[in-house]
Amino acid sequence: MSVVDHNAIELSPRISEANVADYIALLKPRVMSLVIFTALVGLVIAPGHFHPVLAFTSILCIAVGAGASGALNMWYESDIDAKMSRTANRPIPRGRITRPEALAFGMTLAFFSVMTLGILVNWLAGALLAFTIFFYVVIYTIALKRWTAQNIVIGGAAGALPPVVAWAAAAGSLSMEPLLLFLIIFFWTPPHFWALALFRSDDYARAGVPMLPVVAGPDATRLQILIYTVVLVAVAFAPWPLGYFDAVYGVTSLVLGGAMLALAVNVYRRRQGSDALRATRKLFAFSIFYLFALFATLLIEVVAHAIAPSIW
Amino acid sequence: MADKQEPDGIVLTEAQKKSRRERSIAIALALGVLVVLFFAVTIVKGPAVLVRPL
Repeated sequence: MSVVDHNAIELSPRISEANVADYIALLKPRVMSLVIFTALVGLVIAPGHFHPVLAFTSILCIAVGAGASGALNMWYESDIDAKMSRTANRPIPRGRITRPEALAFGMTLAFFSVMTLGILVNWLAGALLAFTIFFYVVIYTIALKRWTAQNIVIGGAAGALPPVVAWAAAAGSLSMEPLLLFLIIFFWTPPHFWALALFRSDDYARAGVPMLPVVAGPDATRLQILIYTVVLVAVAFAPWPLGYFDAVYGVTSLVLGGAMLALAVNVYRRRQGSDALRATRKLFAFSIFYLFALFATLLIEVVAHAIAPSIW
Repeated sequence: MADKQEPDGIVLTEAQKKSRRERSIAIALALGVLVVLFFAVTIVKGPAVLVRPL
């Protein structure tokens, strides 16, 4: 007697009902929008003239590469996504897209984004984009996320690379400015994600993800948020005195940094009840605005300088 | 003898047909964008399209 119940084997192939919206959801459009924005800043502040068609191609490839990373992340993390309320509605846990479909989709996009950027723009940018995707999927998603509470600290490098890729696309080389943009996003990532993890720690604990609040507790996380915010504010301010960015950026960085630091102190001090939750949510929301405003200032500086060089 | 024949193979539901059509259009558009992109960059770069600095 066979131990396999042949009647249980489904002979007909599975027919997908996934629509375009499901595949767009695989690309993590909200993350992608921040990637596009930071890459745009890296592209605009790079020296020299860059043809608009090549600029568009670069941004498109970086965006698609980010989408590929998102799809491959969802392919690998579908088991923990299903356990977390924040991610349970993603296409794979909902049964709209299968894991192999997501893997094929992600790999295809990754291949085309890297090759297109390499062939049409330059291979330094293409190689950096390939490294970014590799770092996010293999180093962060597969190796670090389920293993260490430092997952988002090290993994944050992947999210910090898009302006570097964009700079490389425009300039064909690397210098100090894209490294400064990299450091700003790198040190911004821990306070941003740990603020989220503080009010989603039950979710992460249920899924078995060793986020800092789950492993070290909320108080240790609050201290780490404060330390990283101090470093972030200093790193974000440094380009002005070092002479890389203008005074408008320096003052904006100082004002925004002061607000960010005040909110981090608030999170550190308020540890109980609804006050603590409110403080954490405020920091999380402001951190998004902080990064957006900081990079927008750089963008405005460049645009204003191009429009009215004598005034600016 | 009845003339009516049973349909062979897999019969897609309306929802499956609709989503497949959507996906097909999206793939066609993506390929179209890729073709236009390569054409545009070739025009922009001219002979320099073959020069790819590292």
